[in-house]
Amino acid sequence: MSNAIIRTEFLCKSFGKLDVLKDISTEFYQGEVVAILGPSGSGKSTFLRCMNLLEQPTRGRIYFHEQEITKPKTNIAKVRQHLVMVFQHFNLFPHMTVLENVTYAPIKVKGINKQKAQKQGLELLTKVGLEPKADVYPSKLSGGQKQRVAIARALAMEPEMILFDEPTSALDPEMVKDVLEVMKALALSGMTMAIVTHEMGFAKVVANRIMFLDQGSLAEDSTPSEFFHNPKCDRAKQFLEKML
Amino acid sequence: MKKKKLRLLTILFVAIVVINTIAGHSDPLKAASSLNKDTLTMITSPDYPPYEFYDTKGGDVYDGLRLRQIVGFDIDIAKTLAQKLGFKLQIMESDFNGLIPALQANRADFVMAGMTPTPERQKNIDFSIIYYEAKDTIVALKGSNLKQPEDLSGKKVGVQLGTIQEQNAQKIAQKVAGIELKQLNKVPEVVQEIKSGRIDAAIVEDTVAKGFAQANPDLEFNTILSSEASGSAIAFPKGSSLVEPFNKVLQEMKDLGTLKKLGTKWFSQNITTKTVSSTPTKSRLNLDFTRILPDIPFILRGIPLTLLFTLLSVSLGLIWGTILSLLKIINIKPLTWLANAYTSVFRGTPLLLQLALVYYATPQLTGYKISALEAGVLTFTLNSGAYMSETIRGGIQAVDKGQSEAAMSMGVPYWLMMWDIIFPQGLKNILPALVNETIGLLKDSALVSTIGVVEILRSAQIVGANKYIYFEPLLFAGLIYYVLVMGLTFSASALERRLRQSE
Repeated sequence: MSNAIIRTEFLCKSFGKLDVLKDISTEFYQGEVVAILGPSGSGKSTFLRCMNLLEQPTRGRIYFHEQEITKPKTNIAKVRQHLVMVFQHFNLFPHMTVLENVTYAPIKVKGINKQKAQKQGLELLTKVGLEPKADVYPSKLSGGQKQRVAIARALAMEPEMILFDEPTSALDPEMVKDVLEVMKALALSGMTMAIVTHEMGFAKVVANRIMFLDQGSLAEDSTPSEFFHNPKCDRAKQFLEKML
Repeated sequence: MKKKKLRLLTILFVAIVVINTIAGHSDPLKAASSLNKDTLTMITSPDYPPYEFYDTKGGDVYDGLRLRQIVGFDIDIAKTLAQKLGFKLQIMESDFNGLIPALQANRADFVMAGMTPTPERQKNIDFSIIYYEAKDTIVALKGSNLKQPEDLSGKKVGVQLGTIQEQNAQKIAQKVAGIELKQLNKVPEVVQEIKSGRIDAAIVEDTVAKGFAQANPDLEFNTILSSEASGSAIAFPKGSSLVEPFNKVLQEMKDLGTLKKLGTKWFSQNITTKTVSSTPTKSRLNLDFTRILPDIPFILRGIPLTLLFTLLSVSLGLIWGTILSLLKIINIKPLTWLANAYTSVFRGTPLLLQLALVYYATPQLTGYKISALEAGVLTFTLNSGAYMSETIRGGIQAVDKGQSEAAMSMGVPYWLMMWDIIFPQGLKNILPALVNETIGLLKDSALVSTIGVVEILRSAQIVGANKYIYFEPLLFAGLIYYVLVMGLTFSASALERRLRQSE
């Protein structure tokens, strides 16, 4: 009996004839900061999106605290509250203010009362450095600010784990640093995180585990120092040569 | 002993009831009690002065939304009849060619509208004895020299659809060669066609022709000498128990001279229209808005009804359209199929036809006497729901997929997500289309005038009928519609600007 937050068993995903994920079995434990690396088209994002069932796996099983969530009739909304995702394109709600974005789900999904949610929301916005923007609409924010709001929105759900899907890929280079700072602080505070990213430097410093996906298979699963200094498979070596 | 008495009384009572039932309604004064209700509903077509028309000046009762002061010869007779038989009288209205369907749909107990009993009509409805006799006339432009049926050879002749004059004109057309008949819904329209030169003459009943000739100095009328008098009678649903008591009272009124007195009161009345004193100009379209000045408040009072009608139809249509669009979006095949079939039927048939079906068929199908306003709102809701469902579906599907993913990834349940996240954004997408739909509905609301809702257009037509004129009230109504649509457009763009602030 494992005490993993998430465990996948022979996870497969195909889009038509294209096999995107091939038999991925792994576990995510409390406090882990896992960077999921790999060339484009290796299935990183699909894997992440399978974990909270935004994509339905074709085969295989996923367990959340040893409860199988790939079973039909699972109340997936309930599970997702604990596995919140941060998207490449932020996906803030444009018709709500920044604070409303952050407090919406806690109020409507978790049933926290409005005053408490707002107080909490403002604290989180302070944490990501955007408290002064609480009452503006997302359209007035820069990309980096939007992503920090999205992180605050995710944190407001007090999740067990946050899934980051290429959080800095849509940002101008000068915005990337701010977002990575926030994520680093989050990692240091002990949040469990799975991060699909191309930021090698960040992965090297912040992650405590590296998953390397190649053509839909889990090619390497090791510590950052091992992966970056002594990669085992050839694909990983080639990948690192190109990236660094 | 007591028991015996009781039994005897019971038998006696039953016997009386049975006899009463078998004997029918021999005693007219008992009609009220045996019909089991105290109000009779009469339906008429109040665009036919002096028989029945709206009194647009003063004295009109404004009971909430409907203006009810229909007056005229027929109305006076109906009131007398109802009073003598011990009923209260309620008056409804519709176009003339909607009167018989209304009887058949049990929407009314009787019709008084200067209607002549003909064998064709008698197949479907029952008639009382004749209470007034009128002669047909030929109405034409002054100096056209169309006086008798023989003169109409090779001419275009107008008549009101569904009237006895239409039938008489057909008989004339069989005898006189080359007559082309044109049927229109209302006498004022027929008269207007003469004035615009699209028809040469019209067959109109004498009392009505007289009114038009007085109000339009360029018209003249000549009584058709050979025509048999066409009598007006009261129409009832087939087998109505009211025929007999009505006949009895009508005969009484004839004998006492009451009918004659009423005839004199209405038919010898001078038409209260200002005669145009200036010499007739060459142009036949001599507009004179002073003629409708006193009636402007009457037309204006159609506005609240038009607005209420539009508001109800748009909001209910939006709700219904939303439901339909959801049925199309969620992945349940039979429901999607149903919603698509529904949309195709309601978009594929004329609104006017749907309106007539809902209004006239609902009472026969369900037994519920749907009011004209209800029928209008229902039809427009069903119809605009079909159109809006497509608009809304497009608006919802245009919302970025990332929005629903973001909501789902925080565990927001489907319906809550639709309501809080997707709809508000979809609605913003479709706001311009919704404004278009509202403007369309506002103007299409004029269609309910055909089933007798006194909205703006109907009010204008009533004024036109009373004054024997055509263009002035219609132009005025057009102006009102235009102002309303402009107001709507401005407030919609203000709303759009406000919604855009979040972008």
